[in-house]
Amino acid sequence: METSATTKLVFAQRLLYPLPMVVFVLVWHFFTQGNKERQFIFSSPEKVWEALERTIISGELLTNCQVTVTEAVAGFLLGTTIGAIIGLALWYSKLVAQISKPYITALATVPIFALAPVVISWFGIDIYSKIALAFLSTVSVAIVQSYQGAMSVEKRFLRLMQVAGATRWQTFRLVVVPSSIIWVLNAMKLNIGLALMGAFIGEFISSEHGLGYMIVKASGLYDQATVFAGVIALIVIALALTFVIEQIENRLMRWKTV
Amino acid sequence: MSVSAPLLTIDNLCFDFDGQTEKTVNALELSVKKGEIVCILGASGCGKTTVLNLIAGLLKPKSGSINMHAEAGKKNSIGYIFQSDPLFPWRTVEGNLMLAFDLNKSLDRNRAKETMQQYLSMFHLNSQILTKYPTQLSGGMRQRVSIIQSLMFDPELLLLDEPFSALDYYTKLSLEEEFCQLVKEKNKAAILVTHDIEEAVSMGTRAFIMSGGKLAREFHIKQETQGLDNTRGTEEFAKHYREIWSELKTIISG
Ligand SMILES: Nc1ncnc2c1ncn2[C@@H]1O[C@H](COP(=O)(O)OP(=O)(O)OP(=O)(O)O)[C@@H](O)[C@H]1O
Ligand SMILES: [Mg+2]
Repeated sequence: METSATTKLVFAQRLLYPLPMVVFVLVWHFFTQGNKERQFIFSSPEKVWEALERTIISGELLTNCQVTVTEAVAGFLLGTTIGAIIGLALWYSKLVAQISKPYITALATVPIFALAPVVISWFGIDIYSKIALAFLSTVSVAIVQSYQGAMSVEKRFLRLMQVAGATRWQTFRLVVVPSSIIWVLNAMKLNIGLALMGAFIGEFISSEHGLGYMIVKASGLYDQATVFAGVIALIVIALALTFVIEQIENRLMRWKTV
Repeated sequence: MSVSAPLLTIDNLCFDFDGQTEKTVNALELSVKKGEIVCILGASGCGKTTVLNLIAGLLKPKSGSINMHAEAGKKNSIGYIFQSDPLFPWRTVEGNLMLAFDLNKSLDRNRAKETMQQYLSMFHLNSQILTKYPTQLSGGMRQRVSIIQSLMFDPELLLLDEPFSALDYYTKLSLEEEFCQLVKEKNKAAILVTHDIEEAVSMGTRAFIMSGGKLAREFHIKQETQGLDNTRGTEEFAKHYREIWSELKTIISG
C-alpha cells in the first residue's frame, strides 16, 4: 500500500518537472504569436526550434558544441585537479597556507572577463586561450574548497592516526584525502558552470569556433533564434556534465547512502 | 622482565594548559602492571582525559616522566579508545579493522586477518559485519569494532576514556565482561576513565579518585582481573562501592 502510494507520488513529481518549462514556452509562444516586432526582439519558440533544426542539420551546432565542450572540460580537469592538489597539499603547512591565502582570495575575486583579453594575447585565439580561461575560472574554487575540506577533517581521526604513529603522508593519504572528497566533489559541481563560462567568454571575445563564437555572430546579425539555440545547447551541456559528476559522486559516496 | 614488573610508570608528572594558573596535572604518580585494569574516577574537568592524552603522547608533559616498559622493538605499545569512536565512515568495518595493516605493511596480511577473526569472535561479532559501513552498526557494535581496531595494533596498554558511557545498560554489561576477559586472556593492561562507580568496582583491579591534579585516593579492589558474573551483588562489591562513593561525594561537593 505504502510503496504504491510513494510510487504514485514520485510519478506525480516527475510529471511536475517539465511544468515550469512548458509554462514558459507557452507564455513565450502566445506573447510573440503573430507579432513581427515582438518576434524580432524576443524571437519565438517556433523560430528557435527552426534554428536548432537548421544548425543541427548543417552540423554547425554540433561542431561548435564539440569545441566548447573540449575547451571547458580540459580547463575544468586541469583547474580542478591542480586546484585540489594545491588545496589539499596546503594541509601540510599552516605557514604556506596562511601566506597563500590572500593570493588565492585575489585569484578568486578577479573577474575572469577582465583577464580574458590578456590571456588571449598570451595564448592566441586558438583553443589554448579558452582552456586557460576555463582553468583560471575553476582553479581557485578547487583550491579553496579542498583546503577547507582538508582543514575540517574530524579531530578524532587525526588523534587515531597520531596514537597509531602514522606518518604525515599516511595521515594525508588515508584520512585527509578521503574525508575531503565530498568537498572536492562540491568544487567540481560549481566548476562545471565556471569552466563553461570561462571557455565561453574566451570565444565571445575572440574566436572562430565554439558556441560563444556562434552566439556572437548570430547576435551581430540580430538572429535571436540562433542565439537562443546556442544558449539551449549550453544549458544541455551543463546539465549533461553535472549529471556525469553526480554519477561519480554516487560511486565515491556510496558509504553515505547505504 | 619479571611478571610483576610494571609496564607503565609515571613519576612526578606535571602538566598545565598554557595560560592556566592551576596545574591540571600536578605531581601525579602511577604504575600499572600487566593484567591490571586501573580505573580513574573524578569530578568532571579534573583532568582525567588530560592524563590519558599525556600517556598516549598526544600532549607533552611539562615536567616529570612517563615510561613504558614495552617489549623491545614494539611500535604501538599503547592503544587509545575514545568515547566517540574514530571509525572512518568511508571504509567498511574490515577496512577500519585492517588500519593497523595499512599503516605497517611489514605485517602479514593473512595473520592480520586471522587475528581480526579471533577478536571478532571474542567480542561476539558476526563476520558478516565486515562488509558493512560504520553507519550501519549499532552503538555497541561500533564501540566493539573500535576496540578491536586498536587491538589490531597489538598494544600492551589500553587507554579507555569513558568507552561505554553512551551505551545502553545491557550492552554496557556485556562489553565490560568481554573487555575484562580480553585483558585477562591476552595479558594486557588497561587504564579506564569512567564516571560509573559500579563499572570501576566490577572491572577494576584498582581504582583511583583524581583530584587536585593527582590520583588522590587509591582503592584496592581485587588481585587480578576476573569475569564479572560473580562480582556484582556481593557484599564485597557493595563495600567498595560505598567506600568510593563516600569519598567521591566529599571531593565533588568540594
Ligand atoms: N585544549 C585545552 N585547552 C585548555 N584547557 C583545556 C583543554 N582541554 C582541557 N582543558 C581544561 O583542562 C581541565 C581538564 O580537562 P579534562 O578534559 O582532562 O577533564 P576530564 O576530567 O576528562 O573531564 P570530563 O570528566 O568532563 O571528561 C579542564 O578544566 C578543561 O577545561
Ligand atoms: Mg574527559
